[in-house]
Amino acid sequence: MDKPIRIALTKGRLEKDTVGLFEKLGFDCTAVREKGRKLILPIPDGNLEVVLAKANDVITYVEHGVCDMGVVGKDTIMEMKGKFFELVDLGFGRCKFALATKKGYDFYRGYGVKTIATKYPNVARSFFEKKGMDTEIIKIEGSVELAPLLELADGIVDIVETGTTLKENGLEVIEDVAPISARLIVNTVSLKMRQAEIEGLIEKIQANL
Amino acid sequence: MKNYDLITPEGTKDLLFGECIIRRNIEDTLRGIFSSRGYSEMITPGLEFFDVFNLNSRYFPQENLYKLTDSKGRLLVMRPDSTMPIARVVATRLRDAILPLKLFYNQTVYRTEPALKGRSDEIVQAGIELIGSQLKMADLDVISTAIDSLKAFGMEFSLEIGHIGVFKELVGKLEVSDSDKERIRKLIESKNFPALNDLLDSFGSNSVIAALKKLPALFGGMEVFDKAEELIPDENVKHILDELRELYCDMTELCGSDTNITVDLGLVNKTDYYTGVIIKGYLQGHGEEVLSGGRYDKLISEFGYDIPAVGFAVNVNAIQKVIEKNGLFPAMPKIDAIVYAEKGCEVAAVRAANELREQGLVVENALFDDIETVREYAKEKKIAKVVVVDGSSREEE
Repeated sequence: MDKPIRIALTKGRLEKDTVGLFEKLGFDCTAVREKGRKLILPIPDGNLEVVLAKANDVITYVEHGVCDMGVVGKDTIMEMKGKFFELVDLGFGRCKFALATKKGYDFYRGYGVKTIATKYPNVARSFFEKKGMDTEIIKIEGSVELAPLLELADGIVDIVETGTTLKENGLEVIEDVAPISARLIVNTVSLKMRQAEIEGLIEKIQANL
Repeated sequence: MKNYDLITPEGTKDLLFGECIIRRNIEDTLRGIFSSRGYSEMITPGLEFFDVFNLNSRYFPQENLYKLTDSKGRLLVMRPDSTMPIARVVATRLRDAILPLKLFYNQTVYRTEPALKGRSDEIVQAGIELIGSQLKMADLDVISTAIDSLKAFGMEFSLEIGHIGVFKELVGKLEVSDSDKERIRKLIESKNFPALNDLLDSFGSNSVIAALKKLPALFGGMEVFDKAEELIPDENVKHILDELRELYCDMTELCGSDTNITVDLGLVNKTDYYTGVIIKGYLQGHGEEVLSGGRYDKLISEFGYDIPAVGFAVNVNAIQKVIEKNGLFPAMPKIDAIVYAEKGCEVAAVRAANELREQGLVVENALFDDIETVREYAKEKKIAKVVVVDGSSREEE
């Protein structure tokens, strides 16, 4: 048998959703479900090998071709960019990037340069670049919602799922930036060298979405 | 101020000993293949004026270039590519040369890559350019050279061809803005089906749009041509597909059945100045292409000389990486003898060493004061013979 196709999964919710999808395809995912602390796990009947990684690393591994495929959120793809094929929108992990401010704050008023706090500086920059707006972007690592409350920033660009955190902190979405969902990405060389196997798997996945 | 005197810049590295041997072996192999086919070497400067790479079509985004200024304040770049400087030379000094011109090069190119991604900013490329022929035989000459270049390293490889013309024909029929065309191109390049479908749906629906949606899926073997013909009923496209199919069959014949040859009609990369056939080469175990090339009939005309051309470049660093990954390290050349001079006999020792070298041996001069250290050193470095030159006598052990 050929060496298994290696697929990197973003640890956490996307990992669980993908494993659920694989089980729907009829693969035995016991090893992944009972992984303990292991990071590389086999799905023998699919000739697959699952690698568990952080979102950014999924892209890095796939770009270098040490993993053939990966499951990663569109948020990470938009922030990291990179060279790979983005073949399938898996439909799960849905949420959105949005611009939020303190409730009632008139963000677009006046000519002063606005300050934006975000964990996703590239996403924020290209959003305002398209509007032809100069902004000052400050990268925040933790809860971005703090920045407008502490009056460090006029607004935030962040991932919004239900909007509860925003509401509880007196913030509101004033504009959607982009929709987000999980994507199946494939290394550009792997797709060509192992076309039949990868296309076969993708067909099965698409039939079960 | 922080000193950076002990490290090399991001994206560069020193090569030592065995690594250099691998590097030179690859370069010599490729040079041999190129010159045996009548290609002549060219060396262009590492520094070029920024303007050479700032033509109307801007193939190299300025943020990826290493820039500096000359003593008159003019903007220079570290060469990011060899084909454009060669196009410059062809359009100037070689304007009256007999055609076709067959040129090859083996030199470093520099591009800024994002930091901390494990990429090199300094890459050695070896490649050929065949200038002044539009014949199919010219394409085949270049492609067969590419095949031999990959074969030479004895590893499993795969070749891929495409043709930018299919995309250009289709997108030319769409009445959308240039920026939308660029968005379509980007989505086809990344085979991003969901986003491509959404974007194309917003332009309505007709046979051209349907074909563009399928373009990134048109890759694989021989069957791709039939699928494409069925999907794109267009005289010009059919012509392109026929040409490509012929090349595909020729390549299959040249490579034999154990080499994987594929077609991808969705190869539409931005930095490509290609106008026709595109070729890429992959090695098992490397995540990116190791060879890339194609036909570029309009590039040289941007320098004022309208003449067709076709060529490819091999990424020597990538091949080196795969060879090292596979543990195929070459044997280090061994030292056959070390010559030790007693005090006052230095000239005689140098002569003695030279005599041995004339016999074809690799010989070192000993650089220690006493014979004991020389013997220890020879043992450590596995040097078979120690020669002691003492007055007129010469003693070997």
